[in-house]
Amino acid sequence: MTIHLPRRGRYAPVAVAGIAAIIVTVVASARAGGPPGRSFPSLTPAAAPAGWMHADLPNGTAVLSYPPSLRSLAGDKDAVSAAQRGPGGTFQLFLNATPRQGTETAAHWAAFRLRLLRADDAATAHQDTAAQGVKFRGGTGSCVIDDYITRIGAHHFQEIACLVQGRTSASVVVAAAPAAQWARARPLLLRAVGAYVVR
Amino acid sequence: MSFTLGRWAAGAALLTALAAGCGTTAAAHSSGPKPATTTHPAAHAHTANPIPQHNGGDQDADNNGGPSDGDGNI
Repeated sequence: MTIHLPRRGRYAPVAVAGIAAIIVTVVASARAGGPPGRSFPSLTPAAAPAGWMHADLPNGTAVLSYPPSLRSLAGDKDAVSAAQRGPGGTFQLFLNATPRQGTETAAHWAAFRLRLLRADDAATAHQDTAAQGVKFRGGTGSCVIDDYITRIGAHHFQEIACLVQGRTSASVVVAAAPAAQWARARPLLLRAVGAYVVR
Repeated sequence: MSFTLGRWAAGAALLTALAAGCGTTAAAHSSGPKPATTTHPAAHAHTANPIPQHNGGDQDADNNGGPSDGDGNI
């Protein structure tokens, strides 16, 4: 049987195919989260410089590297932290790695982190930028850069926090500094985050 | 036949518009910069804090006004 399509009808399948391609592209892009946004800083997965210290997560799933100007800090027994303190014990630089504990996922990491900050220890928190599909040593992560004001002391911190998925497990790496010093601290903190290893 | 294909094309166009709307929303939540800075007073905290502050609970730095760690608040 032969179907004779009117002139307009002949082009309909082509139009439908084109529209379908657009739909697939839009949906795939939304689901993948796309490449890091333009405003998200470059994060290079690279070994820590010589002389940096290394701290393994107690469960052995990740390694946090930090410069010798920071000191290991006591905290949760399943996590590792390092910090550089200033006069009066104020935090100048802060690094932390913690195994994934809650319901955080790569797709909703930024919203999760902000919700947790507001629910836990921040009076205010807002997102500056975020990215998914960030390459790490041994895995891929979702990252958010945000700033918040603590309920205690009203300290204004800025941070990059990433949920990083390795081959066998996921963990969170956080690098923070006082917001007023963020611009100066950022290169070092990004280097520490880029040196983070997941397994 | 041409009538059926025409309706097809119209339906697909509608789907495209809907998908584009959803895609934009998802991208804004996942990777785009927040369009506006909104502050929430402490009184508007969304949930009760399960970890006591002032050196309570796990005695983390973030329970004493320090930077927040990466725990899942459990």
